[in-house]
Amino acid sequence: MMTKKDLNKISDFVWEIPKSFRADMRVPARIYADQNLLEKVFDDRSLEQLINVATLPGIINYALAMPDMHEGYGFPIGGVAGFEAKEGIISPGGVGYDINCGVRVLRSDLSFGEIQPHIVNLMNQIQRDVPSGVGQGGGVKLSEESMKKVLEEGVRCIIEKGYGQKEDIEYCEERGMMAGAQASAVSEKAKSRGRDQLGTLGAGNHFLEVQKVDEIFDDKIAAVFGLKKDLVTIMIHCGSRGLGHQVATDYVSVMHKVASKYKISLSDAELACAPFESQEGKQYFSAMASSANFAWANRQMIMHLVRGAWQRILGQSGGQLKLIYDVAHNVAKLEKYDGQNLVIHRKGATRAFPPASHDIPEKYRLSGQPVLIPGTMGTASYILAGTQKAKETFFSVCHGAGRVMSRHAAIRAAESSQLRQKLESEGIVVRCLSNKGLAEEAPMAYKDIHNVVEVVEQAGLAKKVARLKPLGVIKG
Amino acid sequence: MDKSFEILDHPADLKIRAFGKTKEGLFLNMMRGMAESQQGEIENKKEIKKEIKVKSSDLASLLVDFLSEIIYLSQTNKEIYFNAGFRKFSENYLEGELFGQKVKRFNEDIKAVTYHELEIKKADDHWEATVIFDI
Repeated sequence: MMTKKDLNKISDFVWEIPKSFRADMRVPARIYADQNLLEKVFDDRSLEQLINVATLPGIINYALAMPDMHEGYGFPIGGVAGFEAKEGIISPGGVGYDINCGVRVLRSDLSFGEIQPHIVNLMNQIQRDVPSGVGQGGGVKLSEESMKKVLEEGVRCIIEKGYGQKEDIEYCEERGMMAGAQASAVSEKAKSRGRDQLGTLGAGNHFLEVQKVDEIFDDKIAAVFGLKKDLVTIMIHCGSRGLGHQVATDYVSVMHKVASKYKISLSDAELACAPFESQEGKQYFSAMASSANFAWANRQMIMHLVRGAWQRILGQSGGQLKLIYDVAHNVAKLEKYDGQNLVIHRKGATRAFPPASHDIPEKYRLSGQPVLIPGTMGTASYILAGTQKAKETFFSVCHGAGRVMSRHAAIRAAESSQLRQKLESEGIVVRCLSNKGLAEEAPMAYKDIHNVVEVVEQAGLAKKVARLKPLGVIKG
Repeated sequence: MDKSFEILDHPADLKIRAFGKTKEGLFLNMMRGMAESQQGEIENKKEIKKEIKVKSSDLASLLVDFLSEIIYLSQTNKEIYFNAGFRKFSENYLEGELFGQKVKRFNEDIKAVTYHELEIKKADDHWEATVIFDI
């Protein structure tokens, strides 16, 4: 049983489990947390999972955990690790089942005061136009050829079909089209599960929020991101739907079967992996990149539907909805650090590139990448900016608040009709077909988002730019 | 052993423990636990049959792969399966038929079967397994 005594304090916000803690660790593990968040990591098995990550072949520096860390499958959620591309592994357990679950934020030209009289109609319209809920299909059923294009070209192909504007491409991580994607690496089963799901929100913790900028922390960077106090923004949080889950299922199974071939012994079956340069490793990377493209296309399609709903309710006076940025928080990427090619796994962690990075839009080269952190329902979300110091975490930060309470416990604790009333009494318009789904995502089921973001900023991993408060929430 | 399965509490997902006098019975009861958790709204009561064949490396993987195949069939055909008949059943291979019904919708989205804390064992006079599902 691990206790706080097993951790070495590196700074007020960084704690280390030394390599000597367990014989099979190849590197130490580091946790970003303050005293308060640190207490919570002992409540589940996330530390043990982080130690397991530190045993994987080819890992360099540290197995890292962000302040929203909690128990996942294989990697903990909030887990980050870099592996040498030549000697190291790639693992579906380091990416997660919902490949490229991620977030995009749009900004409007309107202030809270201008939108307030229309908010109910707007939320109703968005709910009508954006399919959401368990296993819900969308309006578009992809042919085999269209599916191939979506998987290989992501956002680009969706925009060619008229679902968005060309400049949207620039404001997506990887420009919405991850290199290395090959539709042939994605099974027919996965394609069937995704066939009618493009442009759908799904269920679980996925949501769509209309928000207002509640506070600005950095005027200069906020201006670069096009944000000012009271401005209305829209946040879309979802992923690759059934398609990504099937890809993960398929490749966990493949990697189980080849573990002995590559002499990989696993401390956790969910860490099934293969050498990055092996045939199975390359195939998973291609399938994962394809699923990531599907997820970017999905968020693009949803944004298109939201833009339509916005115009229908607000007409010409609504102005335009512009994409600030779109980030993935479940993905493995090939990135270069000090001349070395690394496979960076981010599982429930957000890429946060610094100013001057060539991999972010030119507009953000002085400010750093917009880092989008969705909060819990009815509390707040944050926009931060990437910094140079985050090189120590392979330019990664948290992805949200981090769950602390089981879904069943949340349902027991949060009387769903009262929760709906509470949110509505705070002026938040709630559109959720399922009371159970609403209760599962009650704010009390999560860590304090303000605390998590504060640790990220105090540790120097990103800089707070703006806080967003919800005006309306749509949950599947 | 009166219960065929039970739903256990889990921080983020769905955890089911199932029991069976035989391995086949255990697989069947785990499938029923999953079906109950999907909370499908039945569209019509006409019985649906689906062929199933699964090959894996060992018994634990066979259980995961069997349940994963059911999720795939369930989601793509909008069907829920309550019964199964196995023609062949070994440590790493099964073949048989699933029996179920068409659904209008599911109220719980079971998206994947995981190896996390997976346990399958023979107790005194019965088999027992625990599986965590990603929802």
